Amino acid sequence: MEKVTATGVLNHLSLMEAQTRSSKDHRQQQQQSRVEELKAKVEELKRHRDQLKKEVEVYESVRTLRASMDSKSVHEEDERMDGDSENAEILWLMAKHCQVTDLLHAHRLIGGFEIIQTKQGKGLCVSVATSYEGVYLDRYSLEFDTKPTFRITRHNIPPFIPLNKLTEQSNMTETELKAFLHILSQHLNAYAGRKQQLQLVKEHHQSVEVMESNALCSLLVLLFTVPKKRTPVLCTMEYLDHIRCLPTRVYCQSEDTELPECPQWKSNCLLLMENPVHKALSTMKTMGHIV
Amino acid sequence: MGDTPRRLLQRLIRRIPAQELKPTLEKWGRLSQAQLQTIDFTQSKWALTGKLGTICEERNWAVKHITELELIYVIDNPNLGMWHTFQLMDPRDNAHTVELLQFKEQFKSNLSELIRNVSVKIKKHTDEAVWIRIAWGDGLSQPNHFKPTYVVHYLQTPYVFVTSLNSKQKPLLSQALVLATSYHAIKDANLSGRKFTAIRDLLMRQYEQVFPRKFHSPLKERNQIVTDPHIEREQAESSANRLQMACEAFGGGKLPQLQSAVYKLETKFRGHNKSMTQREEPIRCVVKFASTNILESLRNCASSGIASTPVTPLLSSIPLKGRNYFVITDNGPGPSQTRQQN
Repeated sequence: MEKVTATGVLNHLSLMEAQTRSSKDHRQQQQQSRVEELKAKVEELKRHRDQLKKEVEVYESVRTLRASMDSKSVHEEDERMDGDSENAEILWLMAKHCQVTDLLHAHRLIGGFEIIQTKQGKGLCVSVATSYEGVYLDRYSLEFDTKPTFRITRHNIPPFIPLNKLTEQSNMTETELKAFLHILSQHLNAYAGRKQQLQLVKEHHQSVEVMESNALCSLLVLLFTVPKKRTPVLCTMEYLDHIRCLPTRVYCQSEDTELPECPQWKSNCLLLMENPVHKALSTMKTMGHIV
Repeated sequence: MGDTPRRLLQRLIRRIPAQELKPTLEKWGRLSQAQLQTIDFTQSKWALTGKLGTICEERNWAVKHITELELIYVIDNPNLGMWHTFQLMDPRDNAHTVELLQFKEQFKSNLSELIRNVSVKIKKHTDEAVWIRIAWGDGLSQPNHFKPTYVVHYLQTPYVFVTSLNSKQKPLLSQALVLATSYHAIKDANLSGRKFTAIRDLLMRQYEQVFPRKFHSPLKERNQIVTDPHIEREQAESSANRLQMACEAFGGGKLPQLQSAVYKLETKFRGHNKSMTQREEPIRCVVKFASTNILESLRNCASSGIASTPVTPLLSSIPLKGRNYFVITDNGPGPSQTRQQN
């Protein structure tokens, strides 16, 4: 109180006035910049919305074109959409591309194989595509001779797939090719699936060490580290059924003999039995069972 | 350190090229980083041998450690001379489930039973190949580590690749392999070459194979060197066809480097010379094709029109059957045909 009377009430009041004026300015400045920021954001969102709208339009027109393509026969290609011809061309091509990709995909899904005749009808070439989790992997081909006897002349199937045994098992003949191709495709797809799982484990789970694997990917031994105590656990997965991507037996070993018996690790083994390896490892990591 | 390990080390250091020495020692893993730092790799090989020799003595290493180092070097540099291929025949029921530990134990015990004083070292490489180093001795002498045999086998396949094996050792090795892999027999696969990776890629089908396709576009694009629209190639289609047939017969892209193909002919003379055609016995002759990359050369012959297309089965059998030694008799390619692979 003493100080105030010393400097003067009027002085103090004018000080306060100056303060409020400057803070008002400051606030106004702040508000201005905030308004500009928001305006810019609005513009950006508007642009984004317009782009998305255009994409939806294109998608819709491609879809209607596709639908009309499916219902028409192959030769009626005359109808075009309204609008400038360049856009229409591109849309039509996109729709056609979509249709062909879908057809190929469907063909492979229903178990179809690409077969062509070679050597003026005296030979056949069959391609088997492999895929896993929606990704197409390697493609394997076989060439057959139809005369004098029906036999395989050439192929690029790896030597650890028992081709001879499969031809005998399925009684492969010229007219009864389907059974053989079906079982071959099962073997190849399962092998490709197991190989892909191993690849994904090596890429995404570098904290887990792959101790042993083999060419057919029918055996996998992984080394896990338990967090906190850092005990190593060795896990063996046997894939004795060569047409499946999941193991037939999983067992764990550790120096701490009680560890594999505890419920945590029993549930881990169950996870590995019922899920692809890379997915099971992710789950185990999130649950905190392994590093 | 005894005399043998010292001499072995000396020979090994001399063999490994100077720039490969440090990486090989690092891969070996028996020397700590600190020790590796103390070694001056710019010294002469003689000095390096001395330095490593002292380290080995300090650590009390024996022959088996040095052979470990040798095996590591050989796995990365397998061009040791001629490699020969063998094929296992008639698998038993459990042949497809033989796994590494089982194979290792069985092979070692079988071989030691067949011959005393043999030293076996087995190592699995990251690409699933099982490398075996065998130093042979006999009842009277210690294993000779200066002339080891190297064997490579891929489990669940019937192929075995061998180098530096002499005729006395061959039946012993064959017996041990057949028992360890659960097959009934083993025979010569008639494929040999100086480059291990080439013969392996050929048999394991690890090169790009070309199959007939409805749409030949990938190869056509590769063929288009001239993009000038005013130049039209008259025989574009037939040369594209030849290229397709050549690639179907031999493969696309980079081909495994085989150095030779040998055809032993035992056929009757077919020609105009009357006295020769009247001979009863077949003419014996050997035709040998040699090149730095024979498959590449043959493919080029076919695609450029020097060899007629479709490619004759005599030539296309090389990659198809995976062999480069053929015996041709009047009844067709000889009795040593390999069966379709299993």
